[in-house]
Amino acid sequence: MSLPLHYVNVLTGLKGCRVIEDAQALGKIIKKAERPLLVFGPRCIDIDLGGKKAIEYGIELAKALGAATCATAHTKKKLLECGVTPDSAYDAVEIINHLKDPNWKGVKKLGNHDIVMFLGMRTDFGNQGLSTLKHYAPHLKTITLCPYVYPHASFSLANMKADKWKEYLENLVKSLK
Amino acid sequence: MSKGKVKSEEINKTIRAEDNWEPVGPTPMPEISDLRRWDMRLLNTYKPFYAPFCDLCCFCTYGKCDLTGEKKGACGINISGQQGRWALMFSLMGCSAHGAHARHLVDYLIDKYGEDYKIDLGGQVAVEAPHMRTVMGLKPETLGDLRKGIEFVERGIIHGVSATHMGQEGSSLDFESKSLHIGMLDHVVMEVADIAQTIGFKFPTSVAETPLSGLGWGAVDKSKPVVTCVGHNAAVATVMIDQLMKMGIYDQVEVTGICCTAHDNIRYSDKAKIIGPLSKQLFFLRTGIADLVLTDEQCVRCDIPELAKATGSALIATSDKISYGLDDVTHKEVDEIVRMITQEGKQVLIRDVDKAGEVAAKVLPIVAKGRKKEIATKEKATELAKECKQCGLCDRVCPNLLNISDATADVRDGKFEKMADLFAKCVGCGKCEQECPKSIPIITIMQAATAWDTFNIRVGRGPIQDVEIRKVGAPIVLGTIPGIIAIVGCSNYPEEAEEVVEIAEEFAKRKYIVVLSGCAAMAAGMKKDAEGKTIYERFKPDFDAGGVLNVGSCVANAHITGAAMKVANIFAKLPLRANYEVIADYILNRVGAVGLAWGAYSQKAFCIGTGCNRMGIPVVLGPHSAKYRRLYLSRKEEDDWTVMDGRKKELINTEEPSPEHLSIVVESKERAIITMAKLCIRKNDTAQGRQLKLNHYISLYKQHMGTLPDDLQNFVRNDKDIPIVYKKEVAEYLKNVGWKPKPLLTLPTLIGTYESNIPIDAVVK
Repeated sequence: MSLPLHYVNVLTGLKGCRVIEDAQALGKIIKKAERPLLVFGPRCIDIDLGGKKAIEYGIELAKALGAATCATAHTKKKLLECGVTPDSAYDAVEIINHLKDPNWKGVKKLGNHDIVMFLGMRTDFGNQGLSTLKHYAPHLKTITLCPYVYPHASFSLANMKADKWKEYLENLVKSLK
Repeated sequence: MSKGKVKSEEINKTIRAEDNWEPVGPTPMPEISDLRRWDMRLLNTYKPFYAPFCDLCCFCTYGKCDLTGEKKGACGINISGQQGRWALMFSLMGCSAHGAHARHLVDYLIDKYGEDYKIDLGGQVAVEAPHMRTVMGLKPETLGDLRKGIEFVERGIIHGVSATHMGQEGSSLDFESKSLHIGMLDHVVMEVADIAQTIGFKFPTSVAETPLSGLGWGAVDKSKPVVTCVGHNAAVATVMIDQLMKMGIYDQVEVTGICCTAHDNIRYSDKAKIIGPLSKQLFFLRTGIADLVLTDEQCVRCDIPELAKATGSALIATSDKISYGLDDVTHKEVDEIVRMITQEGKQVLIRDVDKAGEVAAKVLPIVAKGRKKEIATKEKATELAKECKQCGLCDRVCPNLLNISDATADVRDGKFEKMADLFAKCVGCGKCEQECPKSIPIITIMQAATAWDTFNIRVGRGPIQDVEIRKVGAPIVLGTIPGIIAIVGCSNYPEEAEEVVEIAEEFAKRKYIVVLSGCAAMAAGMKKDAEGKTIYERFKPDFDAGGVLNVGSCVANAHITGAAMKVANIFAKLPLRANYEVIADYILNRVGAVGLAWGAYSQKAFCIGTGCNRMGIPVVLGPHSAKYRRLYLSRKEEDDWTVMDGRKKELINTEEPSPEHLSIVVESKERAIITMAKLCIRKNDTAQGRQLKLNHYISLYKQHMGTLPDDLQNFVRNDKDIPIVYKKEVAEYLKNVGWKPKPLLTLPTLIGTYESNIPIDAVVK
């Protein structure tokens, strides 16, 4: 497994993420989900990728997949401004706490989610939350969509520069349509 | 809990049970499991949430053991047990740091004044030690009594440490119960430490409007001899200040400090100055402005001898907790030590408070002579940055995930805006420099990027006055003062420290009571308005609606939690004495207090927060605190929120998650503000109080999230709770979500919802 970009997230253990270099391959994994959830973190509000915000890629991705959405921190306001009403708004650790329970009804009350994607969290904070899910939610797969290796995720992107990330997200959205 | 005859007699003797200030309650000097049933009741609603930092256990020679999945370690422990063990260890480390600090102060002061030296906190503080009274059942009267508090805590710590040994405790819940116990003890020793130094060093007490003191690295007159005290124990500094006065040179020198010693120095002498929080330790010491560095204990960098050597600052270490491998010269004569420092350039350890203070005062004017203190100029910084190749290694090791390489590259090009912004967010570890293959001194470059401003901070005032509690007790419990916001802890902030000011100001404007301490109190003073005033100059210093208070250093945190206890005692007339369960239950259900540790980094901060949790005070933490690995979260509407109506003696399912969590991490300032407003909601709120609290919650939620809160239905009990200004909007929302009125309570309590020796009548007064 590759090293995470931020060394604070270095894995001390044996069970690390699988880095998916190819957007199409990640798309195939995501498509298998029956009840996918996309969790928006606050950093996706400000990250600009050549004139388009990361949050907009998240919205496109959720729409293409028909995924349920969860706004954490203060992202709800931005999503509303983008014309999207999130299916739920929680603190990040609250949604993670719910996801731990296999019998939870999920944000759409249709059953717990089987694949959960994260976009726009601090990497250290996000990696800790992913650790919780790795240890306590064996019933679901986690995927990170930010350009950093997240060792505690089930599937992670590689560390990459902004231009490559933009390309990756565009290809991922395309593969889901 | 039943105790043996000998032990009971020992306790009765220690707390002078025959004194009749209050009847002795059910748990005098509780042992580690005496309040276990209260803990389990809390943990049933607020379950531990674990985010393991490591998948492995590396504690013993069986290991390393992989604890992922269903796997257990060679000793049988699982991942939750291991996280619980970490939680207990953090609490023990934090409590021990405060406990050893308190022990040092009390022993020193007993040596100086005798154990019969009286506790007198002034005419406005009659309930002098709410924690000692509530936890131990002892009303301390002398320094000797304070020592009993320390001995009691030391006993608890040994028991706690023993449980962390492999082959002992294994249940995560029992680890948590023990951790909560140690957290409770932490507040006892913090209280002991601050009372001891307040009476021993004659800090201000029974005064709300304490003076203002200089704050910021720009506040230091570097043309004078400068001593910088680093740490948390002001004993040596007080002696040094006395000696400087005796020598007639106090006005000619600068006594400065970083972290909590600085707080206590300005309580001793408002001519002393605070440089800033611990995140500025490396930055400031690197400037070489300090002619003499005086270290004591806690939150002191491990590499200060190297730093001092590099800048030519003299160094005296004064605590046996941080000896740095230096020569212990405690046994030598003062003049000989002065000679060793000034002529041989030796860095020394002096473990005698009076001797260290005297040496420091005598050394300071000598070592300052002829020293040049040159702050890096912009030209110099540009020169230093020239080597930067933007390899990005600095970015990879930054614990705050900052983009250092871009800022450094800009400096290389003569632009300082990004570096100034970076400095505002920098947590001051220096890891970027050690990773840099070109050895660029990034922290030095920051000297040229920062503004060298001067700010004002209000001197820490110590305990909240009883008269203030009398005034605000009813409004707090009824909810018409919407809450007590305690902003505490270290400076490991996710963004600029200015966020602390913004949060404090938001709540002060809304007429919450805002109480600050430690590094957070410093950060709050480091922003001025258009008129050049800091938050301490803009808001009244009273423990009252809209007040902004600085109680002092870390150990003064006990006065914040003590104020919540005093509300139960002074306003509600509940006896404190050995009555922890009743008092904690009262606070949980009726006192809308919440803590914010936005930049918590230390085990002490973890332990303080855990102590708050046991007494029913929720704590909001910044994102770095996810690395503490443990939170206490409820599942909102999915949990059972049944309480006992104390007057009717009926179990009632309130369906109201209040307070919703006991310990939660949030990622952004905006979310922190919303969460804190919500966590001030209590089941005891009157309709008027609930309206006010919901008014703030709705208004803040709309401001930052754009809609009504999507959990509003959980907190509206009936129509009377709806804030008038949002009446129509909320009524429509409630109709849409199928809201139904909730049962009303006359006296909410958890007593009676679990097996306990406490009769329900104990909470009814």
